[in-house]
Amino acid sequence: MERKNFGTHVSALYNQYLEDLFNQVLEMGSLVERQLANAVLAVQNADLDSAREVVALDKLINREEMEIDRLCVRVLARQQPTASDLRLVISAIRIAVDLERMGDEVVKIAKLVSNLAQLDDQACRNLQGYKQLIEISARANDMLKMVLNAFARLDVKDCAAVIEEEERVDDLFKVAMQEVTTRFKQSDSDVECLLELVYALRASERLTDHARNIAESVIYLVNGQDMRNIDAERLSTLLEELND
Amino acid sequence: MSEKTINLTMGHDHRGMSLEQEKMAIEVKDWNLYYGKSQALKNVNMSLPQNRVTAFIGPSGCGKSTLLRCFNRMNDLIDIVRVDGKMYLHGTDMYDKRLDVAEIRRRIGMVFQKPNPFPKSIYENVAYGLRLQGINDKRLLDETVEWALQGAGLWNEVKDRLHENALGMSGGQQQRLCIARAIAIKPEVMLLDEPTSALDPISTLAIEELIFELKKEFTILIVTHNMQQAARVSDYTAFMYMGELIEYTDTDSLFTNPQQKRTEDYITGRYG
Repeated sequence: MERKNFGTHVSALYNQYLEDLFNQVLEMGSLVERQLANAVLAVQNADLDSAREVVALDKLINREEMEIDRLCVRVLARQQPTASDLRLVISAIRIAVDLERMGDEVVKIAKLVSNLAQLDDQACRNLQGYKQLIEISARANDMLKMVLNAFARLDVKDCAAVIEEEERVDDLFKVAMQEVTTRFKQSDSDVECLLELVYALRASERLTDHARNIAESVIYLVNGQDMRNIDAERLSTLLEELND
Repeated sequence: MSEKTINLTMGHDHRGMSLEQEKMAIEVKDWNLYYGKSQALKNVNMSLPQNRVTAFIGPSGCGKSTLLRCFNRMNDLIDIVRVDGKMYLHGTDMYDKRLDVAEIRRRIGMVFQKPNPFPKSIYENVAYGLRLQGINDKRLLDETVEWALQGAGLWNEVKDRLHENALGMSGGQQQRLCIARAIAIKPEVMLLDEPTSALDPISTLAIEELIFELKKEFTILIVTHNMQQAARVSDYTAFMYMGELIEYTDTDSLFTNPQQKRTEDYITGRYG
C-alpha cells in the first residue's frame, strides 16, 4: 500500500480530504513528540519552564483531536468511504484518541517536576526509579517517532518493532515499580515524593501502551488485520510475518 | 490548524461557510404551485447561493423537479399549472409579465435526466444556442464551442471529430455534450435534473467532478434521488417532502445532524 494511492480518486475533493487527514494526524503526532521531549528535559533537569511548555502544548493537542474528528465525520458522511479509505478514517479516529491520551499522560509526567519542586525533596531524584522514568519516557518518544513514520509511509515493519519494544519496556516498568515499593517500605518521610514518582511512572508506561495501540491501528490500516487481544503465541507468529 | 492544509481556492470548497454568509443568486418567496386543483408546492421560501451547488432531495412526488422547473419557467408550458409567489434572479422578478421568458431561459440553463443531444454534429449541438442568439462569426463560434467543450471535459475526446453525429457518442459523453451546449450561452445558473441517473458509475463520477469545476463559473442546482450523490457533490442540500421544504442547510450539517425527524428518517433509510 502506498500513500499516493489515497490521492487517486476521480474526486479531487475526496483526495484532498484524505491528504488533509494524513497531514493532520502527523501534525498532532509531532505536537505530542515535542511535548514528550519537553517532559523528558523537564524531568532530567528539574526544569519548570519545560514542564509549563508541556501543559501549554496539551491544549493544542486536544484541539487537533477535535479537528481530526470533524474531518473524519465529514468524510464518512459525504464520501461513503469503503475498503482502505474507510480503514484510513477509522484508524485516524483511533490514532487521534491515543495521541490525545498520550498528551494527558505527558502532562502527568510534567506535574512530577512541579510537584517535586514544591516538596523540595531531593530523595526522589536520587532513586533508580527516577532514572528509569526518564528512560521509559525517552523510549516512549522513540516508539512514537517510529509509529508516526510507519503511518506516514504505511509501513508495518516498524509497527512490529514498536509492539515488541512495548513488551520490553513493560519489564523495565515492573523493575522500577519494585524499587519504588521497596523504598516505600523503608521510608516514612519520602512518601509524598514517592507517590508522585509512582503516578509519573504509571503515566510513562501508559505512553508506551498508547504507542502500541497506534502501531496496531497502522497495521489495521495497511493490512486490515486486527492485532488486538491476541495470545502471545499467535502474536509472535504475526509479528514474524510482518517482518518478512 | 486545518486551514493550513486546505489549498483549494476560496469559493471552490467553502468548508465552514453557512447560508447566512453567502451571496444569493435566486430568491424564492412564498412560492406555491398548483396542477389544476392539486397543490404541488406549498409556501416555499429559500435563497439559492451563487457559485455553489445546491441539491434538492426527497422522495418521489415531493416536488423537487417541479420546483426546479419553476426556475426556468418550464412549467409555463403546462396549461393547468398556476403559480403564486415571487422568484427573483439577481433581483429581477422572473415571472414579471413584461419579461421575455426566453431571456430567463438564456440566463438559466437546464440539463435533463436522459441525455438529449440534437440529431446534429457535435459542433452544431454546441453552436445551436449561439446561432439562435444571432452569432454567426465563424471564429467566435469556433472559440466558444471549444471553450464550452473544454468546460464540459469533452474537448480532448472530440476535437478531431467535431462534425460527427452526436448520437454516436456514449451516454456519458452525450450528457457532457448537453452540459457543453448549456454552458455555451454563458448562463448564470445551471439546473441539473437527475443528470446522472441514466449513466454508469464511472460516467457519474466524471460528471460529479465536472460539476465541482463548473461551480467556479455558475450557480448549480441539482435534483437527485441519489442521496449519496447529494452528499458528495453539493455544498447545500434542501430536503423536500409532499410539496414542502422541510429542511435546508449546508450539506455537512444535513448529513451529520439533521434537525427534522423527517429528514433524518429519509436520509437514514427509515421510510414508512
